[in-house]
Amino acid sequence: MAHDNKYAYTIEGKMALPYQYFAGATSSKFIVALRDEKKILAVQGKQSGLTYVPPRQVCDRTFEHLEDNWVEVKDTGVVTNFTVIRYEEPYQPMKPPFVIALIKLDGADTPIAHLVSCDDVGDVAIGMRVKAVFAEEAVNTILEIQHFVAE
Amino acid sequence: MSKNRNVGIIGCGMSKFSSHREEVNQPEMIFEAVEEALADAGITMDDVECIVHGNMELFEMVHQPDMWHALGTGTRGKSGVRLTTGGTTGATLACAADNLVASGLHDVVMAVGFEKLQEGHTTGGISNMADPLWGRKLQAGALTGTTALQMIDKFGEERAKACAMKHRVIMDEHAALNEKAHRCFNLERSFITEMMDASPQLVGELRMIHMCSQSDGACVVIFASEAKVEEWKKKAAWVHDHETVHREESIIFTEEKTTHRVSAERIYARNGITNPREEIDVFEMYDPSSWWGLHWLGEFLLLDGDEHLQMVENDEICINGKFPVNPSGGVVASNPIGATALVRVAEAAMQVRGTAGKHQVPKPVHKALASGFGGTMWSTLMLLSDEKLNLEEAS
Amino acid sequence: MSEANTEQELIVSRQILSINQTFSTGPVMGRFLIELRDNKRIMALRCSANGRYLLPPREVDAMSVTEGDEWIEVGPGGTLREYDVVYYASPDPLTGETRDVPYVIGWVNLDGVEGIAPLWHLVEADDISKIKTGARVEAIFAEKRSGTMEDIKHFKLIEEEA
Repeated sequence: MAHDNKYAYTIEGKMALPYQYFAGATSSKFIVALRDEKKILAVQGKQSGLTYVPPRQVCDRTFEHLEDNWVEVKDTGVVTNFTVIRYEEPYQPMKPPFVIALIKLDGADTPIAHLVSCDDVGDVAIGMRVKAVFAEEAVNTILEIQHFVAE
Repeated sequence: MSKNRNVGIIGCGMSKFSSHREEVNQPEMIFEAVEEALADAGITMDDVECIVHGNMELFEMVHQPDMWHALGTGTRGKSGVRLTTGGTTGATLACAADNLVASGLHDVVMAVGFEKLQEGHTTGGISNMADPLWGRKLQAGALTGTTALQMIDKFGEERAKACAMKHRVIMDEHAALNEKAHRCFNLERSFITEMMDASPQLVGELRMIHMCSQSDGACVVIFASEAKVEEWKKKAAWVHDHETVHREESIIFTEEKTTHRVSAERIYARNGITNPREEIDVFEMYDPSSWWGLHWLGEFLLLDGDEHLQMVENDEICINGKFPVNPSGGVVASNPIGATALVRVAEAAMQVRGTAGKHQVPKPVHKALASGFGGTMWSTLMLLSDEKLNLEEAS
Repeated sequence: MSEANTEQELIVSRQILSINQTFSTGPVMGRFLIELRDNKRIMALRCSANGRYLLPPREVDAMSVTEGDEWIEVGPGGTLREYDVVYYASPDPLTGETRDVPYVIGWVNLDGVEGIAPLWHLVEADDISKIKTGARVEAIFAEKRSGTMEDIKHFKLIEEEA
């Protein structure tokens, strides 16, 4: 028996659930240093020689523990890739159009994804030098660096 | 039943189970279990070919956690599969890992189950399993008092309640022997009625004290082919069989057999087990509450009268009893849901391999059974042994 | 592995994740809900292959793996087969709001159903301690109905004459 599609309609619903996320000791140390000291901390692999920003507990290549081998990297770096966001959603950190870039900080081997603030998104390019601008009020996230600007 | 080749469990690892793991994020907590399992197996990540990962997204609200967790699971550059089947997730991971090795596709597969329940709302997350147009508003997570109601009807209020609490206390005694257990209250047998009465009701006669914990934790089990087990000269817990039985409804009211009973009947029949209470040496059961633990004991052992109540009353299910159940303390002691059913497999394997430490049962363990439960009354069983399957005979 | 420094400040982010959704009824659940809305009728879908009643109806009966093919009006009276008195306050997953407790969920085998096919809904009574397995209940329809499960407000306990 074929069921009759004239009876089909849609009902509006919602999924709403509370949740929390624990950054853990390693990431917390990174966020607190950004917030309280305006310092960008990284971890370094003794076997791999790689310097990771943001820091992580374990190197996924060598499986060595990294969380006790902290180094500081510079608040300046280079854009290794970027994209321009042109659509608008309520949760976005900036008003479109804006730029999310991969930025390799001076002293780091891995790039960090972050915002680049600029008057004209057309000015952003791979290889562009940028500098971190720290947030004035504590937010306890990676947005302790509010965004990067051209150096 | 036929299996292409033998599969052995050669390593197990678990993080500490707790409701306070603020000091580690998800991949970091998983890594604790990965590190322990690799050490237990005496191998390195380079020896592992494939990672089977599982949990339930609605508990932490992280989409595609397997990608983020690569930092902890070591899956970078390796084969990977993600599975999620509700409470049975951990059991499904074990079944899949067994299948991946038995098929010949991989020689060494690592199953990784995890949950960080403190990061979300467990009951709210589970309620989303129900039909959004009818049941979702009615579902109280995994909480139900219907089993208590049925057991009280069948065995009398006083006996049923005392038995459920005795089950709870025995699990607590076992948890005291397991350093990984989330909760151990040092409950005393002489205060059973007082403890029950003082415990808040959740749903009907299901009280807080009967119910499992909400835990953070990860579990890792390493499965290897017979050739690898022999090459590395490992003591293995051999996977003889597994069985999964599904239903469509979340609660079943007909007089039909439960999925637990059907899965048990099938696995016993295929493996020539005629008297499970005599032939199986230890049972790690997914017991989300003491009411379910008590009821399901009868289902998994295919009992019809009140024998499962007697087994609790006469201490038969204690660690030093004739048919030990959950020497680890079971799910009422620790429940990181996506890991929980894999913990049952790990604990059963540890009993076969003799590596359970203080909660090792004080008798030889030749055969161990592990169960998983979840979804819409889904049931999964895995049978482990200290002896390899005779593949010619089995096929 | 280094021990966690208990003096260290640990960052926790707390949020409510809220996603708007649109659910499709499909022709079968749609017909069931429209019957509630327009006619205050509870329609079960019967599968003629094995005689099983599906409530709420589903396109396919999982036991016989055939389509339900016969609509049959059942209820509004029925017998309570099982019930749960919920004391634990959990969020309504459709709104995120915490519900008042205690409330009672019942599985009602509606009059006219052959065999066992309980419909799931709220049960209300002046005194919830009077709610028992086997009690008679009746569906109470909402005044304003919109084609959702709330078109049945709840099942009301029919108290027996003393």
